[in-house]
Amino acid sequence: MNGFMEMANVALERIEFFLMDRGIYMLTFILFAVGIYGMVVCGNYMKKLMCMNVMQVSIIFFFLTFGQKEGGTLPVTIAQLFSAEDYINPLPHALMLTAIVVSLGITGVGLALLMKIKELYGTIEEENITGKGGGL
Amino acid sequence: MKYKKGRKRAAFGLMLTIVLTAMAGLKVGSFLPIVGDHNSPANSYVANYYIIHALEDTNSPNIVTAVLADYRGFDTLFETCVLFLAGLVVMTILPPQISPEQRKRLVKVDNHSFGGTVLDSSFRLVVPVIMIYGIYVLFHGEVSLGGGFQAGALLACAYLLDRIIPSFDNRLGVLWEEKAVVLAGIGTFFYAFTGMLPMFCGGKFLEFGKLPFGIFLREGTVQLHSAGILMVELGVTLCVMAIIISILEVVLERTDFEEWRKSE
Repeated sequence: MNGFMEMANVALERIEFFLMDRGIYMLTFILFAVGIYGMVVCGNYMKKLMCMNVMQVSIIFFFLTFGQKEGGTLPVTIAQLFSAEDYINPLPHALMLTAIVVSLGITGVGLALLMKIKELYGTIEEENITGKGGGL
Repeated sequence: MKYKKGRKRAAFGLMLTIVLTAMAGLKVGSFLPIVGDHNSPANSYVANYYIIHALEDTNSPNIVTAVLADYRGFDTLFETCVLFLAGLVVMTILPPQISPEQRKRLVKVDNHSFGGTVLDSSFRLVVPVIMIYGIYVLFHGEVSLGGGFQAGALLACAYLLDRIIPSFDNRLGVLWEEKAVVLAGIGTFFYAFTGMLPMFCGGKFLEFGKLPFGIFLREGTVQLHSAGILMVELGVTLCVMAIIISILEVVLERTDFEEWRKSE
């Protein structure tokens, strides 16, 4: 019984360390998978677009975690701090700023297409447009 | 009954996806660097150069803006072009259905309340504050936190609040979607023009150190970089603001038109 408890403690400790070190990656993976799942499963085109946005947000989170540094501050130069250790990595932030803008453009074009579909078919439900059962 | 069953299946599939991804994440995550590691590949090479040299190279304390507008100016230029193209595509997919005179009447006709008296009055107070904040963010893009994209989003937000709430007495005026797209084109061109200016003085494209502002600033100083970054940010702000406005203006016009047609 004691041995089992010790093993459980060790396992818990390892899980705790994993979550501390790399757990955030797992959360972004889950967010990504949920977005993809929604895009495949949802029968409503508007919901598909929203799921795509969730997926994009997960990718942005994933990149931002790379820029993190322990004990680093915002990437705005302060007179007292000179070394590169003191600031978090500005590169992922700059790249993801542009990614956000692209996602805005994609969402806009997607919305326009949705309005066109609504005008042509009178609905944005997949099963009413294709005549087959959409989604699960 | 069928609906309920579908719901159950969807929930089961979602749970399965989450569990499978979590297990995959446990395995894949161990190959990735530890979060907050100072010596990970992403934090090692060019990023450290940016952090140490940004202030002396570009005179911009905000390193993100320095990377975005100066070191990687090309990237941002084409990003702005992508946004402009998105606006053009939206305009192509949904062309205006009604004539300008009809549209003007449409704007006059709908003066219903947006969110009741309290919400409308409080939004009326919020709009000018948002505009001031947007301009502040634009001009602080290189000094402290801020930048062109955020400023454009804020200004567009202020305009749209003004546009959506119909019970305003004195409005900013309506920026129709064709004009908004033209404005976005002007913003994108302003960016490219800022890049071209140094080429007349023997510099390269987007080389802000050789901008021809010798009258105001000393030649070859880092202050020229500040001027270049500010001009670039202005172009980006115009483009982002106008594209957001044009997309939402197109959508608004369609919905307004439907309602109007029903009431006629």
